[in-house]
Amino acid sequence: MDSAIRLRGLHKRFGETVAVDDLDLDIEPGEFFSMLGPSGSGKTTVLRMIAGFERPTSGSVALFGADVTALAPFQRPVNTVFQDYALFPHLSVLANVEYGLRVAGVARKERRARAEEALGQVRLAGYEERRPHELSGGQRQRVALARAIVLRPQALLLDEPLGALDLKLREQMQVELKELQRSLGITFVFVTHDQDEALTLSDRVAVFDAGRVVQLGTPREVYDHPRNSFIASFVGSSTLLDPDVAAALGLDRAPMAVRPERVTLDGPAGGVPGTIAEVIYTGPEHRLVVDLDGLGARITALEPNTGAARPRARGDRVTVSVERGAAAPLETEPAPA
Amino acid sequence: MTSPRVSAYLAPRRRLQLAGLLTAPVLWLGLVYVVALAALLVTAFWTVNELTGQVQIEWTTENVVEVLTEALYRTVTLRTLGIAVLVTVLDVLVAVPVAFFMAKIAGPRLRHLLVIAILAPLWASYLVKVYSWRALLSADGVIHWVLAPFGLDTPGYGIVGIVLTLSYLWLPYVIMPIYAGFDRVPDRLLEASADLGARGWSTLRSVVLPMIWPAVIAGSIFAFSLSLGDYITAGIVGGTTQMLGNLVYTNVGAANNLPLAAAISLIPIAIILVYLAAVRRTGALRSL
Repeated sequence: MDSAIRLRGLHKRFGETVAVDDLDLDIEPGEFFSMLGPSGSGKTTVLRMIAGFERPTSGSVALFGADVTALAPFQRPVNTVFQDYALFPHLSVLANVEYGLRVAGVARKERRARAEEALGQVRLAGYEERRPHELSGGQRQRVALARAIVLRPQALLLDEPLGALDLKLREQMQVELKELQRSLGITFVFVTHDQDEALTLSDRVAVFDAGRVVQLGTPREVYDHPRNSFIASFVGSSTLLDPDVAAALGLDRAPMAVRPERVTLDGPAGGVPGTIAEVIYTGPEHRLVVDLDGLGARITALEPNTGAARPRARGDRVTVSVERGAAAPLETEPAPA
Repeated sequence: MTSPRVSAYLAPRRRLQLAGLLTAPVLWLGLVYVVALAALLVTAFWTVNELTGQVQIEWTTENVVEVLTEALYRTVTLRTLGIAVLVTVLDVLVAVPVAFFMAKIAGPRLRHLLVIAILAPLWASYLVKVYSWRALLSADGVIHWVLAPFGLDTPGYGIVGIVLTLSYLWLPYVIMPIYAGFDRVPDRLLEASADLGARGWSTLRSVVLPMIWPAVIAGSIFAFSLSLGDYITAGIVGGTTQMLGNLVYTNVGAANNLPLAAAISLIPIAIILVYLAAVRRTGALRSL
């Protein structure tokens, strides 16, 4: 079976700047695929090349087995949900959703029925006659989604679609996006700089840095086994351990990253002694920064908020241990292309 | 410089500040603009002493009736209206692609050059520009010289000459608002339209034109109203063709009948009011 999206040697330069650097990527049909990275890492440029808004400097884009590198956006079987929604301000919600069907010459009656169905799928029935400026951010987002899925694309491209929403709404839309993707059964390519979002939603994640994919895998693989220090600190939080510190903790003498929730304080087997330097209360848990005795290093641990009568405080003496296998060995240099 | 004490006194007194700011311009607008217009309206209902040639304050509707019933005025009104419409249509047809190119295709450097090129003629004297068109249109002028090899000839002095010259004169006033209109259409919307399957032509028709429509109307108001009132161009490149402005001019000068001139000048004012009312209905004026 052909890949939904196959990128080969994809390269994009803007003047002197290399935005995307010889990228190879295969995205499978029906997959929820995230491209995660800081701003300027090239993820949006890749999305825009898949959609056809940017021509690659070199390399190719194939959609469902067909090379589309030279095709215009209107000739490609994918649709885009834009970061700022890009709704047509002079058209009603219904006319926005019907737009693609209208330019495709679909008859009025079918157009109307399909638009209503799409608006229902994004839970926006009853808003047909509103204008975009009369809607909230979340509602505009839903119109943008409906406008794209009404065309029944083989893949949906989403460019930071939740970026402009507040936290509560974002969490709700995450759930709805995931449900929508399951019920439509099509490929979603999701660009985000929010690692939580990428981990929560995706079947697979590609982590971008400086125009390259530095790690590709399931959320669990990327989170539990970050390949280098950039990924370890960009995806979730980690304490980076020097070879000496790693060895003192009983791990291999190599650069390692350990997640705070995998650090044990006062475990049954003891460990490296230290003093609590900082306690950060986040509600459901405590984040504890521990100064390790004689190592000149700090490590962060996470403990659930158990409602203990006397929670840990600054200055408390603790022992720190990390299970073998709980820490991820890192490549010293960022992954080569 | 205002002294600190004056500033301290004025700071909490917003109405006084506003009055200080607006009195002079409002007086100017009131006296120079509204009063002159009102005087024109009133004069149309006065008469001229046939012996002395002096304007007499003697109320009559004679002038207005004459303007409404005489065939001459009907002919010239229709001609003027036709010229104004043609000029407006021509200018919009030229301005839309030029403005689109400036706003959406040209790079920043070329865009600046084009803005300067389009505004530069406004710095030249109106008369110089019209006389240069007279030279262009003349029997042995550049247009004749360019067209002669194709078996064609210059249109000479007449309606075509007037339309060409007026279109040239008002083009910058039409391009600039439409350019600003295109500039306000985000590129993202053009991408969204292409993404949803629309080719360039569909996008232009369904997204761009509806969004720049108010700007087109604004530009057309300039071209249309400036054409309606013009008489110098008709005098210089129009040959024997007369426009409403020429009739006004003749009556003020040679015929020395100011009331009749005022009555004639009510025609373009009425036409413009009808035009504004018509475009108002399209909702285009709301976003000006």
